[in-house]
Amino acid sequence: MNRAYFTHVWRANRWRLAIVAIALAAWGALLPIVFDAFGAQFQALIDSGIIPSQFARFGGGDIFSLAGSVALGFVHPIAVGLALVFSVGFAAAAIAGERERGTLEVLLARPVSRRRVYATALAASMLFAAVTMGALTLGALAGSAVVGRLAELGPANLPVVWLNATLLFCAFGAISLGASVSFDRLTPAIGTSLAIVLVSYFLDVIAELWPAAAFLQPYSLFHYLDARAGLSGFANPGDMVVLIGVTGVAIAYALVVFPQRDLAAPA
Amino acid sequence: MPAIATSGLTKRYGTALPSLRRGSGGYGVGPDGVAAAPALDDLSIEVREGEIFGFLGPNGAGKSTAIRLLLGFLHPTAGSATVLGHPIDGASVEIRRRIGYLPGGIAFWDGLSGERLLDELAALSGRPSLLRSDLLDRLELDAATLKRPVREYSRGMRQKLGIVQALQHDPELAILDEPSEGLDPLMQRSFYGILDDLRASGRTIFFSSHVLSEVERVCDRVAIVRHGRLVALEDVAALIARRKRNVELRVTGAVPILHAVPGVSDVHVDGNLVTCRLEGDVGPFLAALRDYDVRDLTIEPSRLEEAFLEFYEDADAGSAA
Repeated sequence: MNRAYFTHVWRANRWRLAIVAIALAAWGALLPIVFDAFGAQFQALIDSGIIPSQFARFGGGDIFSLAGSVALGFVHPIAVGLALVFSVGFAAAAIAGERERGTLEVLLARPVSRRRVYATALAASMLFAAVTMGALTLGALAGSAVVGRLAELGPANLPVVWLNATLLFCAFGAISLGASVSFDRLTPAIGTSLAIVLVSYFLDVIAELWPAAAFLQPYSLFHYLDARAGLSGFANPGDMVVLIGVTGVAIAYALVVFPQRDLAAPA
Repeated sequence: MPAIATSGLTKRYGTALPSLRRGSGGYGVGPDGVAAAPALDDLSIEVREGEIFGFLGPNGAGKSTAIRLLLGFLHPTAGSATVLGHPIDGASVEIRRRIGYLPGGIAFWDGLSGERLLDELAALSGRPSLLRSDLLDRLELDAATLKRPVREYSRGMRQKLGIVQALQHDPELAILDEPSEGLDPLMQRSFYGILDDLRASGRTIFFSSHVLSEVERVCDRVAIVRHGRLVALEDVAALIARRKRNVELRVTGAVPILHAVPGVSDVHVDGNLVTCRLEGDVGPFLAALRDYDVRDLTIEPSRLEEAFLEFYEDADAGSAA
């Protein structure tokens, strides 16, 4: 990692990171409050049979329990969309965006190897994932405290949920960086990264809603984020191993491909 | 030790298939099976320490490709090169530690102020900015300008900032790609002064340009490339001396016989007006006129631009043949 470049990346992204973290914290706080206010009514609605039971759960979360509502906060499209600002937006642009703008030239004219540039962007991407998921976790903690249900949540298990979510978005960050080192232009890098995330999300949702498609679920990275199990103290270490493995493969790919690429003059 | 030495440096784009690679000297082929055109072909040059070396050629001749190979941005298809004694494949970071580079059409992190940008780039270089304040003075980039975001800079101001970032850490070798683009004539003059001072302090400058007047003004030696191939490598003075000058003379009485005079060619006689082209030493030509009544004589001064064009005409003629 290169400290001077890391400082540059941090300065360039700190305000955006603050905004996203505040938004995620607010979102994290909202769901326990919603559960506290309307959980019983939602449960009655489901019990009436009007809504099929599989629609009552989403990514391991629900709104009929505090743990379920917090878990829902981690996999809801709003939280995923906010987290992707960095896991895809920053990571995919880290190399391909600099290439497209022509600023990678100025950076690589310094005594900084391509691997160090990549490692710095990866470290920043992981830091951003940790901070955004930390904000979401702290928001859930605060929301539970506001409605007086902190003990019910089991705060001791929150670090495990935070780690699980951070690993998921680190994996997406590493995949996006892999796309970023592969292209000279930002659009294909972001397009490829987003396509992988969306397909993964779609597989997880469709497998959950449609029992016949359940076999697809292991092919989705979202399957390996189980916030509900984490909050119950039954997190599966295998989930984290899979996420670490995917991240490792993406890193290995980028470390091999990026130094070997020809960086022709920007168009 | 030369500052830069290349030997058979070649870059071709395209898909290199192993079976064809053996049969085509390492050159790749495109999807249509046709060998890819060389961006740079068998370049062998030496740039001496302490000189200003001009790297000349029209757009697309291979100048930027050569520079990008030297910096490790591209990997050579064939050949080798060293910069400050380090091989370009394998010691790229060490090379970049000791050089300054101004890319053609430079782009910056536009959200930063000029001052912040120079600070960050200096931090990335890991060397103190010994020359920054002098360069800023000479290029007339004042403190108020440097406080503004780079996105508000004009093209000329960006180019000045590019020059400062390339030279502020007093590099042993400066590689400058079209450095005077966007500079007004006064700033060009200041820039040439900076180059002269760098040369006087023993620094080496590798200078890519297609502006021949500035190459003539600042460079000690030039390499001329065309279609990726080196067509000339010599002293600027020698190149100019080799250039065929246009000569026009008016005589009264007998017309001198110039066809056999060394260095004289293309002789045309129209009444008492004689025109010809003269290459090299003017002595034999003047000696040949000694016995004639010359009323007027014009020898056009040698300019690099015409020497350059003559090289290209020769190269064209060679290709046609």
